[in-house]
Amino acid sequence: MVTKSRLNRAQLIALLLPGLLVFAAFTVYPIIRLFWMSLCDMSFSSMLTQPFNGIANYKEVFQDQTFWTVFVNSIVYTLITVPGQMAIGLFTAILLNGIKRFSVTFRVINYLPVVTSWVIASLVFRYIFNTEGLLNYFLWKILGVTSSNIRWLDTRWGGISVAMILGIWKGIGWNMVIFLAALQQVPQDLYEASDIDGCGAWGKFIHVTLPGIKGTILFALIELTIGGFNVFTSIKMITGGKPAHQTDTLLTWMYYKAFSTGKFGYAAALSFVMALCLGLLAIVQFRMMRNRDN
Amino acid sequence: MRTRTKLLAAMLACLMFLTVGSAFAEGETVTINFWHHYSAQSAENETLMNVLIPAFEAENPGIKVNAVSHEWAELHDKVLVSAKSNALPDVARCDIAWLPEFQKMGILVALDEEMPDFAEVSGKLLDSAMSTTVIGGHNYALALNTNSKIVFYNKAMLEEAGVQVPTTMDEWVETVKKLSGENANGQQVWGWNEPALAGWNICPFIWSFGGSLTNEDQTVATGYINGPATVKAVETFAELVKAGGITGFNSGDIPMTDGFGTGRYAMMLEGPWKSAELAGAYPDVAYGTAPIPAGEGGSISVLGGEDIAMFNTANKEAAWKFMQFMTGEFAETEMAKCGQIPVNKAALESETVKAADYAPFIEAIQTAKARPTVAAWSEMDNDLTVAMTAVVSGEKTAQEAMDELAAKWDELLK
Amino acid sequence: MKSLNGARIRGMILRYLLLALGTVIFTLPMIYMISTSLRPNGALYEYPPRFFPKWEALTLENYGYILNQSKFYVNFLNSVFVSLSTITLAAAVSSAMAFVLGKFKLKANKLIFGFIILTMIIPGTTMIVPQFELATKLNLVNQLWGLIPFYVAWVIPFSTFMIKGFMENIPGEIMEASWIDGASVWTVYTRIALPLASPAIASVSIFNFLTAWEEYPWANTVINDTSKRTLPIAIAGFFGQHQFTQWGYVFAMSVLTLIPVVLIFILCQKFFVQGLTAGSVKG
Repeated sequence: MVTKSRLNRAQLIALLLPGLLVFAAFTVYPIIRLFWMSLCDMSFSSMLTQPFNGIANYKEVFQDQTFWTVFVNSIVYTLITVPGQMAIGLFTAILLNGIKRFSVTFRVINYLPVVTSWVIASLVFRYIFNTEGLLNYFLWKILGVTSSNIRWLDTRWGGISVAMILGIWKGIGWNMVIFLAALQQVPQDLYEASDIDGCGAWGKFIHVTLPGIKGTILFALIELTIGGFNVFTSIKMITGGKPAHQTDTLLTWMYYKAFSTGKFGYAAALSFVMALCLGLLAIVQFRMMRNRDN
Repeated sequence: MRTRTKLLAAMLACLMFLTVGSAFAEGETVTINFWHHYSAQSAENETLMNVLIPAFEAENPGIKVNAVSHEWAELHDKVLVSAKSNALPDVARCDIAWLPEFQKMGILVALDEEMPDFAEVSGKLLDSAMSTTVIGGHNYALALNTNSKIVFYNKAMLEEAGVQVPTTMDEWVETVKKLSGENANGQQVWGWNEPALAGWNICPFIWSFGGSLTNEDQTVATGYINGPATVKAVETFAELVKAGGITGFNSGDIPMTDGFGTGRYAMMLEGPWKSAELAGAYPDVAYGTAPIPAGEGGSISVLGGEDIAMFNTANKEAAWKFMQFMTGEFAETEMAKCGQIPVNKAALESETVKAADYAPFIEAIQTAKARPTVAAWSEMDNDLTVAMTAVVSGEKTAQEAMDELAAKWDELLK
Repeated sequence: MKSLNGARIRGMILRYLLLALGTVIFTLPMIYMISTSLRPNGALYEYPPRFFPKWEALTLENYGYILNQSKFYVNFLNSVFVSLSTITLAAAVSSAMAFVLGKFKLKANKLIFGFIILTMIIPGTTMIVPQFELATKLNLVNQLWGLIPFYVAWVIPFSTFMIKGFMENIPGEIMEASWIDGASVWTVYTRIALPLASPAIASVSIFNFLTAWEEYPWANTVINDTSKRTLPIAIAGFFGQHQFTQWGYVFAMSVLTLIPVVLIFILCQKFFVQGLTAGSVKG
């Protein structure tokens, strides 16, 4: 065919090249470089020499108490926010799927948190969850469910909780939209068949809806897991890692080590471990998806 | 639909043109990049942007000043990172505690070697302040301003509680406890505010209790930062925190100025800039000042202040002019109006400075001590915050935390 | 039959009630942000705290301050410049890549696509250290336009992935005819593929715009000058000044920053949904 001709091949490459170059230079090269940096001594004091250092950076990371603290924080954040936003998003989608009027209005409003930038949303949440803030006043003086101001932002799990609530609040809209699209593709006759079998609403959900949207659930799982480990701006804005790095996550801690103490080698090693783990996790999840397709 | 898209595209194109245009519309003059940590909405920054820089640029046609405000901790980090990325500014206003670190990195210009008129310029500044710029026998900066912290107290709150301003550390503990509790609205109030748990905040207590951070040569911490007097200071502070007497260092707390201005914090230890800040934001609050209460070590506050330093990538001639201007009588007098105590001898004699009543601060400076002048201070400071956090949260005893800290510091001081 | 109808109606009412409740919870933080931006800074620590300011206390002084005193215009134009350049360049290069990858069988296809998927898996911020080093070497630190290549590189994987899916669905016959007419690859790309893929490109561009508009960690790391800051750094900077935070200013600036985004979102809602669901339903 015509595509085989020399000329066309040159044109194809010309079309590919600009994108590939940018991509290779600013994304692929840094990944490779990251690995190399993680094997070098790259502190402020050895800025110019960058001697090869073997696995010393990795050793330092794994022997560091704070690393394990922030590691647990990231795991907890992901384990709670991912199912949290998926469940609420799916529930909202199911509610929306059954109504006709105002469906678009609800959808637009519920999606607004997604388009709100992380910096702004984090500051709003920080303001609301202030010890002297509106929420504590509401809980204590109006509802009476607490008997003092809760120190949300001052403790390890308090700070992480606020970040998690923000993460869920901001993620529900995205889940709602993709689940709504998935729900609309579940064949209607399956529901009718289950009606005849005498299934209740819950039965229908388990036997028809969930299998019907399995692909979307896996897709969301992969995307949100990556997003969960990518949490950065909200922690930086809400607690800044305080008190004493106890609310830091993997990335905020990595950033602190690199840009506040100059330990770029340590930061590179931590980043590389993270990238590797997430890569493996995603491959497993992709496999699960492919199995479902076959 | 079509026309709407076209309209949108046209609008976007216009906007882009505008932004590109504004991005490239710069003239051909020398631009000095000056980094500082006057906060963006402060009176100091207003003075810098609207009075000092225009005056300097008028005096020195051909030199423009691009002043960049960073938050205090961020300025320190940005300088370190910029050193790595060859993006250092020409001149920066640096906390006196940072100079040894920057000097060790080899990014500062030894002014006494490079500037022929250095002796003349530095002669106009206080010797005591200029001593903060000396490392290994060379001057790496000019002194810009000096300060120390004294007690600010809310007159009405002390009167209501029927207590006097504390003069000893024992009185201080009692007074803080008495001032803490609930106000008429049922809101919690605290006797003392401390906005962080770093050296700048904790050192005055350690020193006043008779403790110390390191030996005289700044080579060993064991036996000093974990010595009995230091541990006593840390313990006393932590107990007051646990008793609800001190707060301010938590992320969820009311910011210091707002809390003091609205009567939620009765006392705080702060510098001369606080008067201008309170006058601007909370003009109605009646407050008094006093020296930090004396303990076994005396009434010892922490020596603060800033130097103005030149980096070795700078346009030296223009940078030096700007540094002379900033430490000159005019600039120092203007800055004195916003709470920056001058170090320029002529400015100190001016009517403005005399009217500003810096006497209590200048008195505190006489006995104040400097934080360790070592290159590793920033890292030590961070360790100290971590240790203090563990103590006030009850995770570790003061002795445990300080023992661990001493071992870490010994390593860093080697 | 009647009772079934009753149950249905009850079900519907429950649905709407739950949705309305959800909507209230969704929007409360935003409303609180707006209401805070409309009260004087001195009233921020009033007791008891109020969700809405007192009617007579409503003020636009925070907005006045942001528009007159701060460098809001500069920051705004910076963000516009960076975001628009990013989406334009990203649309150009990734639609070309998607066209080639989706419509032609090259040997390198698998490798390229593998890398694209790989980089979609790794959180962007993990690469900040080597990227910073790269920016240093290329002298892109503290350059406003220096943000653009990085943003473009970030959005290329997602954009190419999405547009490629769309290109694959263009029926082969349309292109076949052009080949026979002797058209060049370039002609087919610009005359046939691009117009047909324009909905996908539009929805991808909206997402890319949001990414560039709100990006914080990278811009905060490489930009120093006040006059080169984009909106997120400017807002964070307002907040970061310790000791007393002027929430009124922070939120006034936030509201002004959000307006364009919300407008674009509402106007282009259709593309949003398209872009989101294309990836998810296909799997």
